[in-house]
Amino acid sequence: MAEKLSLNQSRIRSAWLFITPMIVVMVLVAGWPLLRTLWFSFTDADLKELGAAKFVGFSNYVGEYGLLADPEWWNAVLNTIRFSVISVTLETVLGLIVALVLNAKFPGRALVRAAVLIPWAIPTIVSAKMWAWMMHDQFGVLNYVLMGLHIINQPLAWTADPALAMNAVIMVDVWKTTPFMALMILAALQMLPTDCYEAARVDGIHPVRVFFKVTLPLIRPALMVAVIFRALDALRVFDLIYVLTSNSKDTMSMSVYSRQQLVDFQQVGFGSAASTVLFLIVALCTAAYITIGRVKFDGDAR
Amino acid sequence: MRANNTLRTTVLGWAVALLMFFPIGWMALTAFKTELQAVSTPPVLFFKPTLENFAAVFERGDYLKFTLNSVLVSFGSTFLALALAVPAAYRMVFHPTPRTGSTLLWMLSTKMMPPVGVLVPIYLLFRDAGLLDTVTGLVIVYALMNLPIVVWMLYTYFKDVPREILEAGRVDGASAWQEVQILLLPLAWPGIASTGLLNVILAWNEAFWSLNLTTSKAAPLTAFIAAFSSPEGLFWAKLSAASLLAIAPILVVGWFSQKQLVRGLTFGAVK
Repeated sequence: MAEKLSLNQSRIRSAWLFITPMIVVMVLVAGWPLLRTLWFSFTDADLKELGAAKFVGFSNYVGEYGLLADPEWWNAVLNTIRFSVISVTLETVLGLIVALVLNAKFPGRALVRAAVLIPWAIPTIVSAKMWAWMMHDQFGVLNYVLMGLHIINQPLAWTADPALAMNAVIMVDVWKTTPFMALMILAALQMLPTDCYEAARVDGIHPVRVFFKVTLPLIRPALMVAVIFRALDALRVFDLIYVLTSNSKDTMSMSVYSRQQLVDFQQVGFGSAASTVLFLIVALCTAAYITIGRVKFDGDAR
Repeated sequence: MRANNTLRTTVLGWAVALLMFFPIGWMALTAFKTELQAVSTPPVLFFKPTLENFAAVFERGDYLKFTLNSVLVSFGSTFLALALAVPAAYRMVFHPTPRTGSTLLWMLSTKMMPPVGVLVPIYLLFRDAGLLDTVTGLVIVYALMNLPIVVWMLYTYFKDVPREILEAGRVDGASAWQEVQILLLPLAWPGIASTGLLNVILAWNEAFWSLNLTTSKAAPLTAFIAAFSSPEGLFWAKLSAASLLAIAPILVVGWFSQKQLVRGLTFGAVK
C-alpha cells in the first residue's frame, strides 16, 4: 500500500516535470515581450530613441490622435475581418473536399497528394511575388488564359483595381492555404477506425449520409483546431497582402497598419497600441468561436 | 457503380492537382527563359531553355549556406518544439488537471499578437542575450512560434490513443517516461509525424523573423529570396530561378513526407 502511494506521488511529480519546461520557455520568450509591448503602448516611444519614452496614458488609444479615432484603422479592421471570414470559410470547405478525395484510392494518388501540398510548402514571400507577376495587367499569364477562355474581355488590373484587389488577395490565400486544411483533415481521416465504415457499407447507407453522420462528427475536434489556427493566422495576415498590394488602402490589414506605424513611421508607442488592440480583437473572435463552436478542452478523453 | 466512383475521384483529384500546381509549373518554366521571353505577350510556351538565370543566382549569393541555415533552423526548431510539446501534451491528455483547459487557451493567446507587435521587445531581448543573427536564436523563435499549434495537434492526436493500453502499461509498472517512449510514441506516430512535418514547413516558410533577426551569418533561404528580389524586382526570370532553388529542398521533403502519410494510413488500417 505504502509502496503504491509513493509510486503515485512520483508519477505526479514526473507529470509536473513534463509540462514545466514548456511553460517556462513560453513565459520567458513569449510572455515577457507581450508585456513589454503592452507597456510601450502607453508611452510615446520612438524607434530611434526607445530610452527617452515617456508615459502618456491612454492617449495612443483614445482622444483626438488616438488609434480609435483613426478611420484608416477601422478600414483595416473591416478589411481584415472580411478577408478572414471569406478565406477561412472557403479554405475549410475546399480543404474538406480535397482531403476526402486524397483519402480515397485512385491511380496516381501519391503524385496528386504531393502536387496538392506544394502551394502551402512554398514561402509566402515567394508565392506572393509569383502571383503578383501572374496577375500583372500587361505581362501576366492569368489575363491571357482567362481571355483565351473568353471569361473576361479585357485585361484586368487584379492587384491595382480597388474593386478587385481584395478578391485577388483572397484567391491567392485560398490557393495557398487550402492544402494546409487538407493536410490537417487528411491526418484526422487517417486515424479514423475503419469498422464503422464497414458497418455503414454493409448496411448500404449512402456515402453522403455516412459523411455527415459518421465522418464529420469523428473528425470535428481536429477540424475545429485547424479552423482556430487558420483563423488566428488570417486575422494577423501580413506578408501576402504586403507583397501583393503593398500599403494599398483597399487591402490594408490590421497587421499591415501596425507595421506601417511601427516601422515606416517609427512610432513604437502608437504601433504597439495598434498591435494591442489587434490582439484584443483576435482574442474576442477566438472566444466567440470557442463559445459558439462549443469547442471542449476540459482534458476528458472523449 | 464502384468503377464509376473511382473514375470520378481520379478526374477530380487530378484536376485539383493541376490547378494547384499550375502557378509553380509556370514559375519553373519561367526560370529557364531569358528575361525577354519571360515578359513577352502572348506568353511563350516553347523555347530553348537557358541556364543563365541559375548562373546569375549562384553568382550573387552563397546558396548552399542559406540552404544549410534553413535546414538547421527548420529541423532544429521542430525538434525543440516536439521535445517540449510531447511531454506537455501527454500530461494534459492523460493526467489532466482543472487548469489544463486554461493552459491550452493561454498557449493560443501567444498567437494573437502580430509578429510586428512584439518585434521591438524580441529584438531587444535577443540583442541582450547575444542571439541576433544566430541559428540558435531562430530555432528558439520558430519553435515558440509553432509551439501552440504543435501542442494542440498532439493533444488532439493523443486523445485518439486508447487509454486502456497506457493503463495496462502502468499496471505492469512502466514509469511515465517509459509509458511515453514505449507505448505512446509508436501509437501516435502518424500524428506526431504530420505535426513534425507541419512544423518543418512552417519554419521553412517563415520570412518575418528571419528578415528582422538575421543579417548574414544565420540568414535562411527566405532572406535570400527577399534580398534577391527587392533590387531586381522586375527581373522575373532570375527571380523565378531563385525561387525555384529556394523551394527545391522542401519539394524533396514534401515528397518523402507524403510517403510517411501513406504509412500512417496503413497504421490506421491495422488499428
